[in-house]
Order: sequence, then structure tokens, then C-alpha cells
Amino acid sequence: MSLRNPDRSRPRLPGAEQGGDQELDDLLVRVGRGDQAAFELLYDRLAAPAYGVIRKVVRDPDQTEEVAQEVLLEVWRCAARFDPALGSAATWAMTIAHRRAIDRVRSTVAAAEREQKTADFRVPADDVAEAVEASLDRERVRRCLGGLTEAQRESITLAYYGGHSYPEVAALLGTALGTIKTRIRDGLIRMRDCLGVS
Amino acid sequence: MNLFRHDLHTLTGVYALDVLEPGAEKDRFISHVRRCQACKAELTGLQEVATSLAVAAAAEPPAAMRARVLAAVARTRQLPPEIRSRSLSRPRGFKLAVLAAVATAAAVAIAVLAIIQINTARQLSQSRRQSLAIAAVISAPDARILARPTAAGGVTTVVVSAARRELIVTTEGLPAPRRGQVYELWLIGPPRVRSAGLLPAATAGHIGPILATGIVPGDKLGLTIEPAGGTAQPTTTPIVVVPLPS
Repeated sequence: MSLRNPDRSRPRLPGAEQGGDQELDDLLVRVGRGDQAAFELLYDRLAAPAYGVIRKVVRDPDQTEEVAQEVLLEVWRCAARFDPALGSAATWAMTIAHRRAIDRVRSTVAAAEREQKTADFRVPADDVAEAVEASLDRERVRRCLGGLTEAQRESITLAYYGGHSYPEVAALLGTALGTIKTRIRDGLIRMRDCLGVS
Repeated sequence: MNLFRHDLHTLTGVYALDVLEPGAEKDRFISHVRRCQACKAELTGLQEVATSLAVAAAAEPPAAMRARVLAAVARTRQLPPEIRSRSLSRPRGFKLAVLAAVATAAAVAIAVLAIIQINTARQLSQSRRQSLAIAAVISAPDARILARPTAAGGVTTVVVSAARRELIVTTEGLPAPRRGQVYELWLIGPPRVRSAGLLPAATAGHIGPILATGIVPGDKLGLTIEPAGGTAQPTTTPIVVVPLPS
């Protein structure tokens, strides 16, 4: 139940096998006090997932790198504002990464161009599989994604990796707004139970 | 009412994935979660699931990025901890801040109208034209009041008329910028980002009203901290972004 329990209570980041996520929280708190050595350790844990999720949304490699750099710098700048009581360091950082990626596609990519790319988002299972390496964590996430219904998986990947608002997801799938809301929630709850998140 | 609540509750999923667009629905959801412990617990869990989706997508960034980020870190000043927060755990302060902002906006409206009354007998001065323009925004049939707390503290209140393509901005409780820095307003649009001017110094914690014109659909209003004199393009992350109705 407690979020402070590092074991199984949160999805772990790659390389977290030894220390668990408590270690990541502590690192971020140290970074908040201006500790650059702690930031280097934090970078090695956060850069890959941040870069990966930004690339999913943004697609363009140059822009991905630009946004990823901005995000990691923002993690440094805003670290003192991280409150462990409100969620894990990983979630705090990934929320910033995902948000900035969406900001980027909303502001710079022309709507028409995005429409074209929509087709790419329609192969969610393989899309994830391609990025998943032999990490226990990623393996588990993939297995849990695989345990969703096709409709749930499609809605979640279109929203999160596709960076689409939920009305956009509803329009893309030709489904009612209310259905999409419940479908995404049901899917995430099923994943939560599968991942063992409290 | 129950149906309504239930409907709000189902938004935990889309909120956790951060695909709930800013607007009335999001605002209602946020204020609902503040009162609903079960929703808050569910939301925290689902946000961790969203993080796992990022983990599943992890990819090795270019090696050169590390050195660039570390170099940037070495010369970047960190923000201080947030004292007043918009976080879900501090509902009362936020609500009061919004109420205060709305009250401020109302007071501004009254003050502006009073200025116009006083000015009627005078010549058509620059300041009066400004006041009239501000009054025109406030009294526009489609005028909307939007209040948002800023990451630096305080609240930004915007009265916007999409039809007039104009808005006015006031702030309350915004901390004074550091020496050599200034607050700059931006119209952040899909075509480009335009400066909407610098904020003047606060009077008793209050700034404005400031008029911004030439809004285009899709614009958002942003506020950043910039070096004194302002910049042509924002160089820092906005402390507040207010999406505007189009």
C-alpha cells in the first residue's frame, strides 16, 4: 500500500534492480539541493526512458534530442519542487517529459503532418515490442500491455505514445467520448493490477 | 449528481496519461479529486502505470547529449522550492487564490469603469484610449475570466474576448523578479511566439491591467522570467500558461 515501499510498489526504471525507487527519490532530493554528482547518477537512470517516451511522441530525432535536453535541464532546475509525498521521482520526471513532448508536437508540427503520422500509431503492440529490451521491468510492462484487450491497448497507446488528447483518440477510433474515458481507465487499472502497483 | 460524480471519476485514466486538455472538464476533475480520497489514491497508482509506459519505451539517447546536459546544468541556476503550490494536496490555498483572483478581476473591472467615468470630461488621452480598450474587453459579450496560479507563486488572471482578439492580464501576489530580471508576457501560438510586453512593477502585490491585442486562434498566454529589458523569444520555461478560447 505504502508508496514508500520500494519493492513492487512502483514500476522500476532500468538499472533500478539493486536500489529500488527510494534511491531515485533520494537522488532527486539531493539534486534539489544543487548536488551535481547526484544529477549525473539521476541522468543515467532517467535519460533513456525520458528520451524514449519523447521519441515516441515527437518522432523526429533532432527534435527528440532537443526536447530531451530541455526536459533533463528542467529536472535540474525544478528538482527542489519535487514532493515525494505526491508520487515517485520517476513519475514526476516522466510527467515533465511527456508534457514537453506533447507541447512540442502541438506547437511546431503542422496539423496536417500529424494526421499523416497517425497511421504509424496504429500498430501499438509491435511498436512497444521494438523498444523493449531484455529488462525485467520492460518485459513486465510489455506482458501487462499484452494482457489488455485490443481496444484498451489501442486507446492507451494512441493517447500516451501518440500524444493525442482523449477527444482526438475518440475521433480516430470513431468511438464515443465516454467509452474512451472508461476504456483508458479500465485498461490502466488492469495494468496497475498486473504490474503490482499499489 | 451521482452520475455526474461518476462521470468525473472516470477521468482518472485520461488525466493520468496527461491527455485531458485544459478546460472546464479538467478544472472540475481537479477540484473533484481534491475532495475525493479514493480518486486521489487511484490517480497516484495510474500515474505510476503511465510511468511504466515511459519505461517500456526507453531508448538510449545519443551519447553526446549527456555532456551537453551536464554542461548546461553546471551553468543553470535552480529554482527555489515552491512555497505556494498548485499541487492536489493544498486545495484550500488554491481555491482562495482563485476566488481572490476573480474578486481582483471584478475589482479591476469596477476600477476601470470608474476611470472611464472620471475621464469622460477630459480629452481623449492615450491612457483613456487604453482604458476604453480594456473596458471593451471586459464588457465584450464573449469575455471570459481565466485564473491560473503561477509556478513562481501568485495568480494570473486573464479576461479574454476571442471576438475582439484582445485580452487583459492582471497578476496578484507574483513575487518581485530578482535583480536584473523581468516578467515577460507571450502569446504562444501555433504559427509563432510573440512577446506581449513586459510586466511593470507591482503596486501592493498587484500588476495590471495590461492589454494584449492581436490574438489568433490557438494562442496561449504565457509568462516567463527573462533578463532585464526582455527578449525576442522566451528563454525559460513559462511559470504559467493559460490556454485561450478560440
